[in-house]
Amino acid sequence: MSLAERQVNEVVKPGQCPPVPCTLAAVDLGRVFGGREVFSHIAFQVGSGQVHVVTGPNGSGKSTLLRIAAGLLSPSAGRVDVVWNGRSLDGVDRRECLGYVAPDLTLYRELTGAENLRFFARLRGVAMDRPALVHILSEVGLKGRGRDLVGTYSSGMRQRLKYAFALLGSPVILLLDEPTANLDAEGIAMVERLVAAHRMQGGLTVIGTNEPREVGWGDAVTCLGVGN
Amino acid sequence: MSRPGWAADAFALLEKDFRAELRTRVAMSAVGVFAFAALLLIALAMATLKDARSAPLLKLPDPVSLDLLSRLSHPAWDPISKLGLLWVLLCFSAFAGLSHSFLHEEESGTTTALRLTMRSGSVFAGKYLFNLILLVLVALIITPVYMVLTGMESGSPLVFLCVMVCGCVGLSAVATIVAALAAKAHSSGALYGAIGLPLLVVFLLMLLNAGSALYAPEPGLIATVRAVGGLLSYGILILAVSALTFQFVWEE
Repeated sequence: MSLAERQVNEVVKPGQCPPVPCTLAAVDLGRVFGGREVFSHIAFQVGSGQVHVVTGPNGSGKSTLLRIAAGLLSPSAGRVDVVWNGRSLDGVDRRECLGYVAPDLTLYRELTGAENLRFFARLRGVAMDRPALVHILSEVGLKGRGRDLVGTYSSGMRQRLKYAFALLGSPVILLLDEPTANLDAEGIAMVERLVAAHRMQGGLTVIGTNEPREVGWGDAVTCLGVGN
Repeated sequence: MSRPGWAADAFALLEKDFRAELRTRVAMSAVGVFAFAALLLIALAMATLKDARSAPLLKLPDPVSLDLLSRLSHPAWDPISKLGLLWVLLCFSAFAGLSHSFLHEEESGTTTALRLTMRSGSVFAGKYLFNLILLVLVALIITPVYMVLTGMESGSPLVFLCVMVCGCVGLSAVATIVAALAAKAHSSGALYGAIGLPLLVVFLLMLLNAGSALYAPEPGLIATVRAVGGLLSYGILILAVSALTFQFVWEE
């Protein structure tokens, strides 16, 4: 086991994220794609129990910023600091304590919803017995559809399943890119409840959106593409 | 429940891949179609050879044909050539099917979920094991059929088994890392062949070298160990280098 893995096992206990202080800070962040600067000098900080919204026109880099925050993409300049329980988590380590919902996230179409959740729960070290599975499927409005192949799901149902995936292990950080895409009114209400509950539990949330309703959920807003 | 180790993660991925493969049969279809077509061609070619051998000499019109028949009856179709062709068959079968392990993940966009939940080492180990098991299964089916069709001898069964196992270990590693590179480059077909060729040429040379020890009239122990050991070393080398470099392929 590598030092990084040992540190993660000591610090990050998926499924048992303690209500300890957690901060996510973007420090002078910039990203360039093929010579084109998507954004630069972005700085903000989100603490426990806070919701931060990133907004901006199409192509302004909202999804890119969230991917960088998730540790899925390296920034061209600056850095993202995630400090949890007084310890700094690098890009790879931080993935284990965050939930991520985004259009570029896809679950296995050839598996059922339940099989997907069991597989990812196993990887995260989260116990997923039948009651737990039923509970999480109910929470995202997919009760009774766990045995269906994801390939047969509607786009809204797939979005709901992404929330079930993101909530595995009760992560302390939620990164939501276009959080209500493809969802009906009930689904939007579900997301609003989840975000509110996460805030109440001391988790931090970063949302990338252009929807005025979702912008209203935030405590602070970073607007990209308008001189950053 | 604490987070599982990398081996448990790798086995979880392996189990998921087999479950998905049993449903979609993407890799198995690709390998099966290629292997069946290749074996069918070999069977037809062998039937032609047999017909030529059994044809009455009187019907042969001229000395040139006699010479041709002589060549067909005693072709440069020695056991090492047969072993080489068997591995060419296995290589192409492997590259036809094993690429799906990463390409499918990349094309369907599931790599993001995997990257969020798995370490690169576990992903490589899981994918490698999947490819290795699939290749061994393919080899178990193709090899006996091929041996019957071509009359290929196994030489020393133990050494033959070692050559086959070492070959599968190395070929799976080559197929896995090349598939990962090609999938990340979003240009599967052309790049897969371009990157795979240099690795495969060395691999096939090592296999033929092992074959020469396998079919030597009086194989010495040292020569056999050296030849098979070379093949095993190359396989382990490829596996180790692939595992070490995979992190850089997987992360962006």
